[in-house]
Amino acid sequence: MEITTLSQPNLQTQLRALFVIAHKDWKVFWRYPLNAVSHVFQPLIWITPVYFMGKAFSSNGQAVGFAAYTGSGDYMSYILIGTALSNFIMTVFWGMGYALKADMDAGVLESNWLTPISRLQILVGRTLTSLLTTAITSTVMLIIGALLFGFKPTGNTFAAILTAIPMLIGLYGFGFAFAAIVLVMREANTMVDVSSFLVQGFSGANFPVQSLPSWLIPISMMLPLTYGFDAVRGWMLETSTLLPLPVEVAVLIVSMFLMLWFGSWFFYRVERRVRTLGTLGQH
Amino acid sequence: METTLSPQSLGKPGVLSDLRALFAVVNREWTIFKRYPSWIIALFIWPLIFPMMYILTARALSGPDGSGLQVFLKTTGANEYIGYIIVGTTVWMWQNIVLWDVGFSLRNEQMRGTLESNWLSPTWRFAYLLGQTGPQIVSMVMFVGITALEFGLLFGVRLNGSPWMIGLMMLAAIPAIYGLGFAFASLVITMKEANAFVFLVRGLVMIFCGITFPVSILPEWMQSVAKFLPQTYLIHGMRAAAFSNAGISELTADLIPLLLFGAFWLTVGYVTFVWMERRARQTGAIGQY
Repeated sequence: MEITTLSQPNLQTQLRALFVIAHKDWKVFWRYPLNAVSHVFQPLIWITPVYFMGKAFSSNGQAVGFAAYTGSGDYMSYILIGTALSNFIMTVFWGMGYALKADMDAGVLESNWLTPISRLQILVGRTLTSLLTTAITSTVMLIIGALLFGFKPTGNTFAAILTAIPMLIGLYGFGFAFAAIVLVMREANTMVDVSSFLVQGFSGANFPVQSLPSWLIPISMMLPLTYGFDAVRGWMLETSTLLPLPVEVAVLIVSMFLMLWFGSWFFYRVERRVRTLGTLGQH
Repeated sequence: METTLSPQSLGKPGVLSDLRALFAVVNREWTIFKRYPSWIIALFIWPLIFPMMYILTARALSGPDGSGLQVFLKTTGANEYIGYIIVGTTVWMWQNIVLWDVGFSLRNEQMRGTLESNWLSPTWRFAYLLGQTGPQIVSMVMFVGITALEFGLLFGVRLNGSPWMIGLMMLAAIPAIYGLGFAFASLVITMKEANAFVFLVRGLVMIFCGITFPVSILPEWMQSVAKFLPQTYLIHGMRAAAFSNAGISELTADLIPLLLFGAFWLTVGYVTFVWMERRARQTGAIGQY
């Protein structure tokens, strides 16, 4: 028996599907404009105590202790870069899982699953608007950060952006794996909150990992994100890095391929299991 | 012909029935609290991981030779930095949890569709809000106890003061912290979506009250704002009680404003509730969400 389908997937239809998903999310995001304000100010509010705490640790305006670890006493630029990158990490790493959870709650996951497009494509599509809005809100955050805290990138910003790209693409692998866990566990808020804090803590989003207790440093060195944060700051602020910059970039590129392969393999395996059990629509 | 109606109700409200209603709400909240034991995990994890972000940053600011730390200790007058930060972050978490738990209590009833039917019962309505507070205070006492235990065991933080004085500071702060929660709960039920307001209130505490630094380091205008926030006095007093062995006489300067703010916020909380109740009956919007 020959099975025929009305859909004829090709590159154009795939791109159209991605655009439709992103367009829908764009409309939803701007439907709640306070969210955008919150995205800009929340990170600034969280790092304000660090700004004043840093002053309490500084003598004559110089954070000498911090400079001994990083080679730069400009701790606020260091933290602001970490915060901006964390915003992107949150978007890619957790965004796909959250999007699945939202679809489950709204009862549309099963119908989305029946459309003739790749499931990974649905997941990627859900991050496109978030990436754009995160880019906008993080830029505004950095501008305000520059006005309030004196954010001063002194190095090569272009090289820093190029370095961040393999890190973000690699994060999609993590995101696929996390989305698979959400398909199974369905309720993952506590897991997300805790893992998010731990991953960002261990990879040095807000401080140099060299300052971690010695028994935690090996965990930190195993996370590709650690090299991402370190290399981006190395380019932008000319801070001293854990490894030479070309080596860190190479680590990021290799881990990008590994994480993408592992994430998609894990996602398809779990997704097949969920379809076998028939629990896809449950939440 | 004139007809006189004499409304008869089965409910005969009195002090005793009000107390019974309050107890029923407390009992219900306690049952729900026990029914979802996942809070136990959160109770152990959050006191540890939230302050860690600031503690590890402080560690980095100290430098490998501790030179930055010497400056911090001199500026703050503290003996060590971990305990100093924990007090501030714990107060912040307390206010944050109250805003989400007590602040959203009536809203949750509204979402469940039970608020309207509860409202129709011949009971003291403020009991619905007040009843949420009991189990919340119990869980917060556990939260503070676990925080002290975890940081004592893992980081060697030791109290250098009287636990009674710490308890007294917390007791004095309850009216202000929960009064704010009551006012918030009433506003939330009227405005429906209020996440942004939670972010605003907890953001004010985070920026102005000195959760990780002494308020004296702030610019003048920010110090003036800090004086209007009860959490500033709570954090200052708790640090003094926990690590500087402060007695009642040293704490009076923090206790008096805390109690005054408590009276103010409880009044605001109650008045807002009464206003909301009246408005809800007039507009008939109590069950809408």
